[in-house]
Amino acid sequence: MKMSRMSRLPPSSLAALSPGQSATITALALSEREAGWLRAVGLGEGVGVTVLRRAPFGGPLHVRTGGGAELAVDRKLACHLTVAS
Amino acid sequence: MSAAPPPVVALVGRPNAGKSSLYNLLTGGHAKVGNFPGVTVDVLQADVGLPGGERLRCVDLPGVYTVVGAPDPESDEGYARRFLDDLQAKGAPHLVAQVLDATHLALGLKLTLELRGRGVPLAVVVTQHDVLERQGQAVDAAVLSAKLGVPVLTTSARDKGAAPKVLEFLGEAARHAKAPPTDALDAQAVATKALVTRAEGKAAAHAARRRTERLDAVLLHPVLGPVLFLGLMVLLFGAVFLVADPVTWAIDGALGALGKSLEAALGPGLFTSLLVDGVLGGAGTVLIFLPQIVVLTVVMELIDASGYLARGSFLVDRLLSVAGLGGRSFVPLLTAHACAVPAITSARIIRDPGQRLRTILVLPLMTCSARIPTFGLLIAAFFSGSSALARGALFVGLYFAGIASGLVASLVLGRTVKRTAHALPLVLELPPYRRPQARVMARLGWRAATRFVKDVGSVILVVAVILWALLTVPGPGHAEAKAAAPPGASEKVVALHGSVAAFVGRALEPLTRPAGFDWRMNIGLIASFGARELMVGTLGIIFGLEGDEEDPAPLAEKLREAQAPDGRKAYGVPTALALMAFFVIACQCMSTVAAVRRETRSWRWAGFLLAYTYGAAYLLAVLVYQGASRLG
Ligand SMILES: Nc1nc2c(ncn2[C@@H]2O[C@H](COP(=O)(O)OP(=O)(O)OP(=O)(O)O)[C@@H](O)[C@H]2O)c(=O)[nH]1
Ligand SMILES: [Mg+2]
Repeated sequence: MKMSRMSRLPPSSLAALSPGQSATITALALSEREAGWLRAVGLGEGVGVTVLRRAPFGGPLHVRTGGGAELAVDRKLACHLTVAS
Repeated sequence: MSAAPPPVVALVGRPNAGKSSLYNLLTGGHAKVGNFPGVTVDVLQADVGLPGGERLRCVDLPGVYTVVGAPDPESDEGYARRFLDDLQAKGAPHLVAQVLDATHLALGLKLTLELRGRGVPLAVVVTQHDVLERQGQAVDAAVLSAKLGVPVLTTSARDKGAAPKVLEFLGEAARHAKAPPTDALDAQAVATKALVTRAEGKAAAHAARRRTERLDAVLLHPVLGPVLFLGLMVLLFGAVFLVADPVTWAIDGALGALGKSLEAALGPGLFTSLLVDGVLGGAGTVLIFLPQIVVLTVVMELIDASGYLARGSFLVDRLLSVAGLGGRSFVPLLTAHACAVPAITSARIIRDPGQRLRTILVLPLMTCSARIPTFGLLIAAFFSGSSALARGALFVGLYFAGIASGLVASLVLGRTVKRTAHALPLVLELPPYRRPQARVMARLGWRAATRFVKDVGSVILVVAVILWALLTVPGPGHAEAKAAAPPGASEKVVALHGSVAAFVGRALEPLTRPAGFDWRMNIGLIASFGARELMVGTLGIIFGLEGDEEDPAPLAEKLREAQAPDGRKAYGVPTALALMAFFVIACQCMSTVAAVRRETRSWRWAGFLLAYTYGAAYLLAVLVYQGASRLG
């Protein structure tokens, strides 16, 4: 039964990950221009991400990608990055 | 027939890859290098000769993440893309040399594949290879070259001996320039093939990562991080005061002694006055603040080279976005504490147009190094009774007053002048920490010193001499004005009171009296309209002319003892505080106004900047003077 419960959960976003958690980006819910730039920076579909920490007072996330790059990502923007574990 | 221009080698790559480092290595240039993505925001070029006698035109560009899609034309990426597009459109012979950070091979190769698709001759310089080697890894250039079908070289831009090898490589690539193949490749797969890991490599790479992790755990800690950030800012500004101030007043004493012996040797006269009051009192008084400039430059470079800049952006993003700015505004804001002009240019790294404009309009409120002489002089003159620590605290407080006024101004501007529905959010690479190079810091400190001496020795010197003349030549109605001079005053003082400049300064007194400024301060304020440094220069000349020739006192003392026409002290702490408040806010810098006009492409914003800062500065000065006078 565990499997079916999992699949009913809405897809989670990068912003929902807590520090230490890892996942893979599955979709960018953004305009094509913004998404294109993010892919070029290194946050595209299929990229593994780990949240290292969150800045206080709703500030940005500190994220490490599978390739070893580290990025500060605005929390509101992170809401638009769909991830799956 | 003129010779054809040399082939262009455009250094293209992701931000912080090492383009400017390589450019400096190849051309012997002084492009700004920093451990932050987005240091270079403009196009820089220089010609270099190859051993065979050919020449290449090396071009350093701002970093780009991608060369497909439409960039924001006003951003740093936009400037780089426009240069590349123009180059291709003109059809001039050129080579794109991609500078690829070896430690992020796969990411860099994504850009390589895009560049291959442009059909322009391409070569790849894999740089920062020393860093990769220390992590027990290497890039196999032969494998990479075979896969990509373009020439590849691995090197380190910090290795002075590497320059001839890289130049030869680029010359060869430019000579045999041909369009690269365009077969479909996968960046990750190519990277995996080309990356060689030695047996002990994994452990070394892990150790390098652990170091950055451990530093981040402290510096980005939710509580400790912001506290350390604030502490660092206090330390930065405090160091400028505590380290440099004693040296400054020692130099001041030496200059005073020099003036005295000059006067003794030459005897009284117009020429002596020009030399002692005009040149030494005017330009020399500005020059004594050289130590502050050097300390500021060196400490800023320390923050810049270490990799802390990006961390600072991460920490203050939230606070700045409340004020209508953002994390990407942090670097321009910090840079502006040295000088607003390059900071205004570096606002190109801000991705959001509204945020960029607001940042540009508040940057001139940051306490630039040209304000230091005025603050330093006022503190020395009116707070000499306080401890060094208290004076340092006041100095640091002035910096924070600048920052606070910037945040308030941005908040107001965001609500009135330019609204953005929703600002483009922050995405910023956090580079690994690096050890700052002592050699680079020393060179930058030296260059800051020589540039300051050159500025003081040229523009400021000329203006000081003109001011001296205006303070010596009699003005309209000088007969009555002379009568206003203190009784028993020397001929020089009487002449000063009747001079053209005194006439103008006195005409403004009704306007400035509420702020506690008399005609002497007014002359300084007019003179410093174009450049703030001239405030202390002007006061240096005026009080030099007024001073006692037998026993020349330091300027700070003369300022403290200055008399009003009624014989009472002309200035006190309220005047000093009001003048400080005025200097915190007013944009007394024509270079800044010109830079704002250039970046916003409008005189309107430049004029607006002048109007709002002068208006607010005047109001604040009046408020502070009235308040402080009431409080006693
Ligand atoms: N160890 C080492 N460090 C390097 C090398 N090349 C660059 N760096 C460092 O990497 C950082 C970035 O160098 P820059 O030359 O400013 O990079 P850039 O590509 O011009 O960066 P932007 O102008 O921001 O796009 C600096 O801290 C340099 O000192 C290298 O070959 N070896
Ligand atoms: Mg650069």
